[in-house]
Amino acid sequence: MGVGLAMAKLSNPSMTQTNWDLIRDAASGSATARSSLDAVMKRAWPAVYAYIRATGRRSDEATELTQAFICDVLLARRLLEKADQARGRFRTLLIGAVRNYLADVHRRRTAQARAPRAGILPIDASDGGSGALVGEAASGQDSTSPERAFNARYVAGMIRSASERLQRELEADGESDSWEIFRLRVLQMSFQGVAPGYDEIAPRLGLERGQCAAKLLMAKRRFAAILMDELRATMLDPAELRSEVADLLALLTEG
Amino acid sequence: MMDEIPDPSQDPSGSHAAQSLGNTLRWAFELDESPAIAGATFLTREIIPGARDPFDAIAGGTATLRQLEDLKNAYKLLRTTGATAPERSLAARLYAATIAAGIVRHGAMITRQAPAALARAFEELSADPEMPERVRDLGSLAADALGRMKS
Repeated sequence: MGVGLAMAKLSNPSMTQTNWDLIRDAASGSATARSSLDAVMKRAWPAVYAYIRATGRRSDEATELTQAFICDVLLARRLLEKADQARGRFRTLLIGAVRNYLADVHRRRTAQARAPRAGILPIDASDGGSGALVGEAASGQDSTSPERAFNARYVAGMIRSASERLQRELEADGESDSWEIFRLRVLQMSFQGVAPGYDEIAPRLGLERGQCAAKLLMAKRRFAAILMDELRATMLDPAELRSEVADLLALLTEG
Repeated sequence: MMDEIPDPSQDPSGSHAAQSLGNTLRWAFELDESPAIAGATFLTREIIPGARDPFDAIAGGTATLRQLEDLKNAYKLLRTTGATAPERSLAARLYAATIAAGIVRHGAMITRQAPAALARAFEELSADPEMPERVRDLGSLAADALGRMKS
């Protein structure tokens, strides 16, 4: 089973949140380290894959590189153990690691290609030495697109995780209808571009239209709080929330 | 049920997907920080898209009777489910204002509340210093109309 498939099959709700405690636990060798590592990987895999794919690599190559990154960097090099909390944000730690990993891969492949004819050459400062996105340059991709792809997938994962938690909480509170309204009016609208109106939803749920709107407000607020919780959990200083949201918005919406 | 959650990451590098994710993130952040009026404004715009705020929607005179009924039901629920005491208090006053607008603008009673309770609510609305003048006027007009209906 490939890592991607294995990641897709991980669905334990308790393992969907990435935060520094989880990262510390994953690196600790404790009894729960394996499940914590799985949870971190579940969050990281799609974003890492999206980044590599956006550098212009084919899907099979991107899958292979993503698996290799997980094995070589997250596991073998124990990136998590080295995660210096002073760096603050898990997202920036991960994206920097992927960028450096691709540069290393390119450097190794270039060195192998050169070695038979030219012997051992010093690393060109304009190439791997800078840690630049060499793969992107080679593929002619926009240099900002891998980061954008990474961030989009990272936020998407967070939104999905927050949605799943919202569903569990609302259903546990006997608010299944609130979840249904949220799913139709927010998630479906946001990601499929269409949503049924209250005229259709209200009779189906046995509610008044105005009640549906009020229940949607309640669900949206709860979702917002969960999503911000998830985001705060990836940062050491919760006061940085505003700047992290601003950074992500800029990265997601820049042309 | 989990499978029914749309997967927002199908096209992560596409501009539409990125825009949608950005929009979701933005409103989540804003809603997390919003003051009391934001909840009522959200409900108002769900029912009357393009409405500036609840006060305009109710007192402006363009809301249909059906929209006023929808607003009334929305504010009624917000009276008990609002996130904060100020929000619940505002919802209670807007609830009364929609009933007043039904009477004044459409000559219709959109509640089964007892006349005495309504009269008291309209009087309070007309004297509420936190309400815009047009909403206080609506309260006065509704109180007068209710008095005529009773006599």
